[in-house]
Amino acid sequence: MAQAQMLIGILAIVFFLFTIEFIRKRHLREEYAILWLSMSLAIALLSLWPGLVALLSHLTGLFYVSAVVVIVFIFLISVLMHYSIVISRIKETNKELAQRYALLELRLKELERSREN
Amino acid sequence: MNKRIVVIIPAYNEEKTVGEVVRGVKALSQGFDVVVINDSSRDKTAQSAEAAGATVIELPYNLGIGGAVQTGFKYAVMNGYDGCVQVDGDGQHPPEEITKLVDPLFVNDYDIVIGSRLIGQTNYRVPFMRALGIRIISIFLRVVCGMAVKDTTSGFRALNRRAMAFFAMDYPQDYPEPESLLFAHRKKFKVMEISIEMKDREHGVSSITPFRAAYYMTKVLLAMTIDLFREF
Repeated sequence: MAQAQMLIGILAIVFFLFTIEFIRKRHLREEYAILWLSMSLAIALLSLWPGLVALLSHLTGLFYVSAVVVIVFIFLISVLMHYSIVISRIKETNKELAQRYALLELRLKELERSREN
Repeated sequence: MNKRIVVIIPAYNEEKTVGEVVRGVKALSQGFDVVVINDSSRDKTAQSAEAAGATVIELPYNLGIGGAVQTGFKYAVMNGYDGCVQVDGDGQHPPEEITKLVDPLFVNDYDIVIGSRLIGQTNYRVPFMRALGIRIISIFLRVVCGMAVKDTTSGFRALNRRAMAFFAMDYPQDYPEPESLLFAHRKKFKVMEISIEMKDREHGVSSITPFRAAYYMTKVLLAMTIDLFREF
């Protein structure tokens, strides 16, 4: 059990560091970064603080690995839902841009035509 | 002074006040150009601004204050302005104070000049929770980068070409006023804060309750902490 804890704890820290690097390089927007940082931090904490695991087991009846799985799962569901919302918004703004662009092209064409005459 | 300055007015649903603000700026003797960025308003903001003599840029969808102001910066750079001044469309920033912000850009070679409600003698009253939130953000900035600005959420600012060109390419979208100060520090911009008189809101009530102020402050601090990791 202690091995799993250590491994997952280390993975969580590595993930945390990768996230920081993505932020640094501007690949990840700050608003999304917070989600990933807090998840990896939560799991790292759980893995490296033995007392917390005992408390959690006592409260929820879940073993360590199960608890990690539940945390990650809830988090992933939340992120996916959030992405669905973001994608919906992007589709809407994309449509708006496409329509405006088409109308702009028409204006340009008519302007060029009237200039030729 | 024969420097070309443009006043950038980001506006979202400000039909009642934007016309007056534009006229106020146009009435100044310095001949500032005025560009209003209509952030996809649902009301007659654009018509009102145009009637008052401003150039109006119509954003195809709402970008928020960060995106709107950045559009203004892009416009200013495209048209070769020497500097720009950001002015709110709600009438809280008096046009008469604009020259106070512009002069230090050229006389003392400052990159950013902030018009502050919180230093010197002003009659402007900031609600307590908001003032506290602003103070905490200000302390955070002082601790992480030594920036001694008190009014970190003031959008009443003048920028020179150097600052304008950078922000036109890269401007914080979520909390532009405080985050841009952190950016400014990392880019080694010279920032100055001067005292100006601001007017109270004429129309409507501020939507900022004490709870919202605390929530806003927390999010700003979080965003700025993330910003600290960024490459500049």
